Formats: sequence, structure tokens, C-alpha cells
Amino acid sequence: MSYGEAFLLGITALAAIFSTIATYMAIMERDLLKAVIFSAIQSTIYAFIYYMLMAPDIDLVYIPVAVGLYPAVIIALIKKTTREEKP
Amino acid sequence: MTGMTEIQMFILAILPIYVAAFILYTFRALRGPSISDMVLAIDAMSYDLAAFLVILAIYFKQPILIPVAIALALWIYSLDIYVSKYLEGKELGE
Amino acid sequence: MTLLDIVLIVIGEIMIGIGALADLIAAIGMNRFPNFYLRLHAATIGTIWGAFLPLVGAAFVAAGCKCLGEYRWFMAGGALITAFIILILGPAGSHALARGTHRSGIVPVEPKVVDHLEEDESMPTSQETREIGEEEGGSP
Repeated sequence: MSYGEAFLLGITALAAIFSTIATYMAIMERDLLKAVIFSAIQSTIYAFIYYMLMAPDIDLVYIPVAVGLYPAVIIALIKKTTREEKP
Repeated sequence: MTGMTEIQMFILAILPIYVAAFILYTFRALRGPSISDMVLAIDAMSYDLAAFLVILAIYFKQPILIPVAIALALWIYSLDIYVSKYLEGKELGE
Repeated sequence: MTLLDIVLIVIGEIMIGIGALADLIAAIGMNRFPNFYLRLHAATIGTIWGAFLPLVGAAFVAAGCKCLGEYRWFMAGGALITAFIILILGPAGSHALARGTHRSGIVPVEPKVVDHLEEDESMPTSQETREIGEEEGGSP
């Protein structure tokens, strides 16, 4: 394994760790709009991971769904209901 | 052909600077005090990520990886509009 | 490899290097600035100098590198289209976000000298005062 391959796999592993942190914070957040933004961070990092794993066809479908449509639906839902999560 | 061209070696030398910038952007996006800070950080990070993906496509020598950058740069703009519409207190599409 | 290809590759590599440095500077500024409205400045540097310039440089490199095969024009065109999209959408998104944030007032303009926009928004505009005056004048 050359230096380049090892470095790029290391970047992918680091991105996976950050996506795990973002997912944990999205679950533990009480403010639902902030949770949506944490989920968007996780989606962006997943798009990068799909790219590094050489799956651009999956990525072209994943980006509009997870970055574009999913926050729109959830933000419209928060708008209709309440923003704070009740304990 | 000794395995790597000069362009690939240059890109490998440039990559750690981009990775350091992405780590700092992610820190600000994860602990921003307000929602606007988080959205701004993820917005700037995604635009830089599009440039990074094009540079990586040149490194991998695979032209099929290019449309991912276009899709990412187009769709991350919608997150700005959703959040600013919510903050102004209007419905989507109004 | 002709002379034109070498010139294109060198210019593109210089642009990619400047873009990487601007990216790092923008990320440091994003962490160091104390206020949201100051962080917009760092985001602008990261968008234009950190994303637009390396994409144009990547288009030059892809156009000049024979090692990419005949599909290098496809890569150069894609990079230029992405650069054009970012040049339009980045400032528009930042402007929309700043407008919504300042109107909703969730972020206080904390270290400030004067805020003319807030004063303009707090007092009624000239058109509103004219409408109020017409309403008070009553109908004929």
C-alpha cells in the first residue's frame, strides 16, 4: 500500500469518526432545528465517504435525498408543530 | 511512467492543508453557538468539499467522479434557503 | 507534452495552492472570529478564494494533462460549471442567511460600534408614514 492510498483511507476513517459524533449530537439535542442541522452535517460527510469508496452513482442519489429533501420535510414539520422537544 | 506523475505528487502534497481546513470547519459546525453559525460553517465546508472532490477526481484519473461535485454544490444551497425562511417566520414557497 | 500544456499545468497548480492556503485561513478565521456577522467574512474568503479559484485551476490542470486521456475536456468542463455555480450560489446563500438572522434577531450584534440597519428596521419607513397619514386624513 502506497502513501497515497494509506492517506486517503485515513481521511475516510476520520470522516467516519466525525459522522459518528454528529449522529450522537443529533440524537441528544433537545432543540429539533439544531438536530436537523447536525443530521445535515452527517449527510455531507456520508456523501464524501461514498465518494471515497468509489460509488458516485449512489452518491448522485444520496445527495438530493439526504441534503436537499430530508431537511425540507423536517423543517416544514417543525414549522407546523413545536420546536422544543418535550421531556 | 514511474507509478505517479508530477500532478499526483503535487496533489498529495496539497491534500493535508485541505484536510486541516475541513477539520476546523467541522469543529465550528458542531459547536456553533447559534443555528446560523452552524449553517454557515457547513455551507462553506460543502463548497470547499466540491473543489476537493474535483481535485481528487484528477488524482484518481476517473472522469466519472465529476458530477458528484456539481450535485453537491447545487443542493447544499437549499439548506441556506430553508433555514433563512424558517428564521424569517415564513412558509416554504412563500 | 507541448509548451502550452506545461504552462496550463503550472498555472493550475499555482491556483490550487493559493486555494488551499485560503481555505486554511478561512477555517482559522471561522474559529477565531467572535461574532456571526464577522464569520460571514471568513465564509466569503472560503467560498471565493477557497473554492472558486481551485476549481478554475483544476480545469486548467485537467485541460493540460495528457495523462487523463480524451475525457479530460469533460473534466475541465465539469470543473468550470461547478466554479460558475459556486460563484453565483455562495454569495446568494450567505446573503439570505444573514438577512434572515438579522431580521429574526436570534444573534445579538455584540461587539459593535453602530448598527444602522437595526435603526432603519425599528423606525417606520417613509412609505408607511405616508400611508398612515392618508388613513388619518379620512375618506372624502
